[in-house]
Amino acid sequence: MAETRDVVIIGGGHNGLVTAFYLAKAGFKPLVLERRSQVGGAAVTEEFSPGFCCSTLAHSAGPLLPEIVRDMRLERHGLKIVTPEIGVTALSPDGRALRLYNDVRLAAQEIAKFSQKDAAQYPVLQESLSKIGRVIAEVLKLTPPDIDDPNRADLWAMLQTGRSLRKLGKKDMYRLLRWGPMAVADLVAEFFETELLRAVVASRGIFGTALGPWSAGSSLVLLIRVAGDSHPAGSAFFAIGGTGAITQAMAAAAQGAGAEIRTNADVKEVRVKDGVAMAVVLASGEEISAKAIISNADPRRTLLKLVDPTHLTPDFVMKLQNYRMSGTVAKVNFALSALPKFTAFNESGDAALQGRIHVGPEIDYLERAFDESKYGNFSPHPYLEMTIPSLTDNSLAPAGKHVMSVYVQFAPFKLKSGDWDSQRDALGNTVVKTISQYAPNFTDLVEDAQIVTPKDLEDKYGLTGGHIFHGELALDQFFTMRPLLDWARYKTPVQNLYLCGSGTHPGTGLTGGSGANAAREILKELRR
Amino acid sequence: MASNKYDVIVIGGGHNGLTNAAYLARAGKKVLVLERRHVLGGAAVTEEVFPGFKFSVCSYVVSLLRPEIIRDLDLPRHGLEILPLDGTFTPMPNGDYLWRVNDHGKTRREIARHSKLDAEAYEEFGKAMQAMCRFVKPILSMVPPDPSTLNPRELMKLLFIGKRFQGLASEDKYNQVQLMTMSAIDFLDQWFETDVLKATMSASGIIGTFLGVRSPGTAYVLLHHYMGEIDGAFRSWGFARGGTGAISNAIAEAARELGAEIRTQSPIAKIIVKNGRAIGVALQNGDEFYADVISSSVDPRLTFIKFIEENQLPSEFLEDVRRYKFRGSSGKVNIALDALPDFKCLPGPGAHLRGALSISPSVEYMERAYDDAKYGNYSRRPYIDMVIPSLTDPSVAPPGKHVMSCFVQYAPYKLRPGLNWDEQREAFGNNVIDTISEYAPNLKNIIINKQVLTPLDLEREFGLSEGNIFQGELSLEQLFFLRPVPGYAQFRTPIKNLYMCGSATHPGGGIMGAPGRLAALEILKDVKTTQPRTKPARLAVAEGIS
Repeated sequence: MAETRDVVIIGGGHNGLVTAFYLAKAGFKPLVLERRSQVGGAAVTEEFSPGFCCSTLAHSAGPLLPEIVRDMRLERHGLKIVTPEIGVTALSPDGRALRLYNDVRLAAQEIAKFSQKDAAQYPVLQESLSKIGRVIAEVLKLTPPDIDDPNRADLWAMLQTGRSLRKLGKKDMYRLLRWGPMAVADLVAEFFETELLRAVVASRGIFGTALGPWSAGSSLVLLIRVAGDSHPAGSAFFAIGGTGAITQAMAAAAQGAGAEIRTNADVKEVRVKDGVAMAVVLASGEEISAKAIISNADPRRTLLKLVDPTHLTPDFVMKLQNYRMSGTVAKVNFALSALPKFTAFNESGDAALQGRIHVGPEIDYLERAFDESKYGNFSPHPYLEMTIPSLTDNSLAPAGKHVMSVYVQFAPFKLKSGDWDSQRDALGNTVVKTISQYAPNFTDLVEDAQIVTPKDLEDKYGLTGGHIFHGELALDQFFTMRPLLDWARYKTPVQNLYLCGSGTHPGTGLTGGSGANAAREILKELRR
Repeated sequence: MASNKYDVIVIGGGHNGLTNAAYLARAGKKVLVLERRHVLGGAAVTEEVFPGFKFSVCSYVVSLLRPEIIRDLDLPRHGLEILPLDGTFTPMPNGDYLWRVNDHGKTRREIARHSKLDAEAYEEFGKAMQAMCRFVKPILSMVPPDPSTLNPRELMKLLFIGKRFQGLASEDKYNQVQLMTMSAIDFLDQWFETDVLKATMSASGIIGTFLGVRSPGTAYVLLHHYMGEIDGAFRSWGFARGGTGAISNAIAEAARELGAEIRTQSPIAKIIVKNGRAIGVALQNGDEFYADVISSSVDPRLTFIKFIEENQLPSEFLEDVRRYKFRGSSGKVNIALDALPDFKCLPGPGAHLRGALSISPSVEYMERAYDDAKYGNYSRRPYIDMVIPSLTDPSVAPPGKHVMSCFVQYAPYKLRPGLNWDEQREAFGNNVIDTISEYAPNLKNIIINKQVLTPLDLEREFGLSEGNIFQGELSLEQLFFLRPVPGYAQFRTPIKNLYMCGSATHPGGGIMGAPGRLAALEILKDVKTTQPRTKPARLAVAEGIS
């Protein structure tokens, strides 16, 4: 006899947990089914080597939307966010470092060491971005309007956006319109002359995407990030205990509100009858029926794997197959016997070590790294973002030892020759070699390394195509087009089946935006 | 001796300047056109580069020319005759080829040789693109709105577009949105599986841009070029008899008949501005001409930076003009031939030589060509689009001989440090010959003479800044109400009585004539209205939608 629930949520990633919380808060009893032994999805902290723990995938928060932190009372549930005063430091091969403080004045002082002109420009860009970012932040919170017949709420929302757009004033409004489709390399060139500064700001426009700094539309990605964090180069939002601590706190909050969470519960199928989602079937064969089934998994996995596509129109299936989600990011986590000695940082106590450390000194360096991925090779000189979380949280590594978490781009999901299992070590060596150019003693410090390839992201973490955002963030897959035009409102062609993951608007990193928007829309439906 | 006072002075005798002049003369204005070179047409020009060999030196095919212009100016009567350019032939390294012609059945069978699925999809694709063109066409003949005002007329235009978009079938909405945002290859990948087919089709998505076939935004350019293929006037791309110069000459004839005065070899030194108003122009020889309206068909860099003193313009506007992207990415090689090229994959003369011959064998080939350019090199193996007009129009070459026009991309205007185009010209030209020879080995033996035009030459000879054939990149951030610069997309400028009417204005490049015509209509509105404008945008009228 099948168990019956009012709401079942497939996947306990951060968006699934956010949705679960808001539904529970509204009086429903959502059941979250997580395939793995712990919740968190791509925001998990795991012991990858005896005594060494690390944010396995995402190592920095999006940042989280403040209202979500507030509503879920995440601090009360044990979340402690640290924001190092130096958000990001860009390393130069000549041994210099550009320290970008969160404090714009201090950042400008550092920039002045490279260029007076740029030092003057940095606050100008920051100001423009924060104004534009506020408008985009509003758009990110919207439920994309129904193009065919916008309802009153849609029109009202659009009107509001139009208003705040006008409030920007002619200059910034035109900037927003002009920048959206532009190449981020052009945007940074409009403000800065220092290559290192250009590169570190531009990298924000290509992270996690299949775009190079010269690709049109990469500015949009930058603008989307700016909505949460208006520093041109971004700052750093770390959780004590790694990003897993964020999702643990979310899980506690959701449970506190009345949600139930079941781990090791691998949903194999969403059972559909006459176009209506009836139940989920677990790997164990157990069947749980529900009035509403919400999937935190990516759109393709949800609708082409869990649902039998015969319940969908061929046209919809075709479009979803064309939804672009081929990942470009790999992750390497190092267990280090000691703190690496960077040429650029004189003392080991350098504050720069606590923030994000950027490797990718020139626009062309980033572009060449991207070029390789177009032809199915990983970059021999990749763009890296490193963090050393054990500096801010010594519980992560044995005394005196450290963990280093590294994003590696570009590593294309589809390799031209060989498969990722055979290339895994080569990728790891490339990363070690690259870091050694900036920290000569690095090689000797590596005790162990966990290399997560795009294939692993799909196999182990269920990210189809190894795409960390559940689908390319680009003009053609944004807002009313995420995941597909006409299906951007968290509903699916299957009645009572909803989406709440990053494959829906806004779908940006670790912010919880998609989960919150989805919960709002789904509640409207459930209350009908 | 004509007086030196006119109603309107048009700077530049390119096809847009001439169209602009013709429409203004047609409205009874006393118009003077001033052309720097000895010959009219700008980039739409025919020149006898070598004795007996006449080349369409720059632009070499036509299809976008607006039908209303052909009608209004009665161009056929003035000698315009368009000859068909049938199909596109793409030789492949493996000895095979892809040959698309206007005959649907034939093309279908040909594509089926490569992929049955693609043959099916090709029909569907054609239909979809037609729907897209129907949507975009009226926007081409519309004065762009100014989204930053609350002026009802402007909002009406935005509403008009919104409504049209809503009116589309949801399938077409989906395609339209993708076309505006995607890369040519991402878009084509959804329809086709045959690599060479995608490569050749994607080529029209990059022409004149500094983008690769995988760069977002190129799908739109694809559409921009597709537009012609369903144009009411001609169903396909074609040649003008006598070369593209014949088009300019026909428009010039029309303009003269309507009373316009046209002077060649009259290079402008400066635009004369008195307290915020343009009142005339001064030639390099010192002559001065005065008019109530100055209409410039040259690009913004020449108009505002070369011809006008800095202090006459708002600094923010100048900033935007300086920021406007040209980035020429293409060159041209014009070859006088003793005989016809002989393609390995389809030997001997034949109908395939009468169409476009496209060196675009694979998507990777196209993308790598772009990669070279990104770092300041001309493509080691470039995309080449060739035509042999003498096969269709014998008048352009001596009997038995031929002219071949090769459009070459990529050739970046800015070469990497240490290289300059004057030293690279020869090598660039030879590289093009070598590339073609890989498919047509006899080429080297039949070359009588060749003319190599680098982006630098296009700038020097034809006044195209940075050698951009469209007077500025056709990238999303430089289209519609953002072309050429935000706030000045309605042909007006910060200087009273000074207008823009060239390809740098909406809807942009190609032998289309639309900018020249739209600008003329706007100018006439202003000239008719008496009360002074406070804001350029104010006068744009929704009737701009024709």
